[in-house]
Amino acid sequence: MKTAYSFFIGLFGLTILVASCDKMEVENPNATNDVVIEFDNRIGSADLVLGTSVLTNSSREKYTVSTLNYFISNLKLITEMGDMVSFPDQYFLVKESDSGSQMIELKNVPTGNYQHLSFYIGVDSLRSIADAGLRTGVLDIASYGSDNMYWSWNMGYIFFKIEGNSPVIDIKGIDKFEFHIGGFGGKEGPTPNNIKNVGLNLPEMTKVSESTSPTVHIIFDVNKVMDGSSTIKLATSPIIHSPMVGKTISANYSKGFIVDHVH
Amino acid sequence: MSCNRPSEEPNPLEEESDGLFYQPDNFPSASYDFKNNPVTIQGFELGRKLFYDGRISRDGTISCAECHSQSYAFTHHGHTLSHGIDDRVGKRNAPSIQNTAFMKSFFWDGGVFDLDFLSVAPITNPLEMDEEVGNVLKKLKSTAGYPELFEKAYGGSEITTERFLKALSQFMNSLVSANSKYDKYVRKEKGGGFTPQEIAGLSTFKSKCASCHATDLFTDGSYRNNGLAIYERDLDVGRYLITENENDKYKFKVPSLRNMEYTSPYMHDGRFINLTMVLEHYANGVEDSKTLDSELKKDSKLGISLSEEEKLNIKAFLKTLSDPTFISQAAYAAP
Repeated sequence: MKTAYSFFIGLFGLTILVASCDKMEVENPNATNDVVIEFDNRIGSADLVLGTSVLTNSSREKYTVSTLNYFISNLKLITEMGDMVSFPDQYFLVKESDSGSQMIELKNVPTGNYQHLSFYIGVDSLRSIADAGLRTGVLDIASYGSDNMYWSWNMGYIFFKIEGNSPVIDIKGIDKFEFHIGGFGGKEGPTPNNIKNVGLNLPEMTKVSESTSPTVHIIFDVNKVMDGSSTIKLATSPIIHSPMVGKTISANYSKGFIVDHVH
Repeated sequence: MSCNRPSEEPNPLEEESDGLFYQPDNFPSASYDFKNNPVTIQGFELGRKLFYDGRISRDGTISCAECHSQSYAFTHHGHTLSHGIDDRVGKRNAPSIQNTAFMKSFFWDGGVFDLDFLSVAPITNPLEMDEEVGNVLKKLKSTAGYPELFEKAYGGSEITTERFLKALSQFMNSLVSANSKYDKYVRKEKGGGFTPQEIAGLSTFKSKCASCHATDLFTDGSYRNNGLAIYERDLDVGRYLITENENDKYKFKVPSLRNMEYTSPYMHDGRFINLTMVLEHYANGVEDSKTLDSELKKDSKLGISLSEEEKLNIKAFLKTLSDPTFISQAAYAAP
């Protein structure tokens, strides 16, 4: 028994020695590297093409998508040891019309094996009430042009925007649908809150090291906007701007993100 | 915090009152965070030029002053609802711009809680200026004079969203109205002598109106349903638009009563064209509803009991809130 015990200790020690030798020779354990999070909007598994792809919801309504934008913020990575790396003050606006915006680059991620990723869809309440001086980059309200992502009348960002067309809609001859989802919870008093935190396990251990800079490929299934815990019918709800009504939609889309693979 | 004017700068306006923000002794302390945007003469002058510049609107025709005219304490005189671009009609009565630094929220429903972002609403509203903020910045960049004015105000000629919005705030924050006969009365200054009727009016006001029109700002900044008849055709649910809470239906922000002599018509939709109609509403016109303010249904009676004499006294008192220096201050006029 004693012999066997020593044997196992010895073998274990040898393994550690080999592993650490390997690391020390090749990699600096204090090195950092980039992690890219790719947001790929799809219809099930098929590619989404704006204005062209025809989607069908569970109410058998056919529609196309002309605009799909959403804010991603407050990203966090958690290692197998439970260590958390967070990325505050980094805000991203993912736009289907801009492929560059779909690749989010997280800089200076410490070496480690990461097994969990989380992020907000939206802009946190603190930044939603912040001074104009802190609203630069994608939070600059002058940066949106005609593709607006800010509400001036009920001050706050539009967290998630999907627009498109459907033959089942006829509002004075126009077949357009618009879901603008915002609402950070209010400053003076409570207002509807549509900030959603999405947590995803990374299927294979995602390794970051001096030589490894992984890309986490996330698929967002656009079908989920109308078909999740609630079913949205375009014929009856073609225009949704109200943050309260938007709660059903944010609950739906927050369940539409999966990690497809890491490479 | 009380005063942010730069002391060393030579001030061309110093000879009268310079017009910049100050903290009146009888006001609550300012709620605006001046730390991030101190008022300077150069920032004020830039804000003033922007306030009077139609370039802020889509077609160059509508400036802020269109609906906020100094002669009427920065309101849209004679318009129940404000008129904007292409003669489109807005949904509410343009509120007065005065004492903004002391307010915690803006607009009748309080949808904006930061003065720096107030201007974005009329600029982008299709019924008002119908423009994008990005386009405004582009226009300013290519307009002779503006880069220099931004340089003077901020020490750099770059025209950013923050600088643009904060310059407008500097101008608005400087629109302090605290020189009425009432102010002189409470500060025991020259010209503050009240007549017996004004004293009686103040006394009635304090017991019957000041629970909402509180402090020397004459508003407590709260949202209340004051029992106005609900017009189904032009339904305006007020604060509910922002909170979507049933308890906030038909509530609107309590407006300040300062300079009310210049700011008719009254209420969020301008339905009352004179003070007589307003007092008549509170005395006899209040309609009951689920969200009617409790101050207006005391002792199981609707409204506020007001004798004819009390009404006359209140009217006399409210005129002491007029600040003629505010509407004639040269520093606030078009540059």
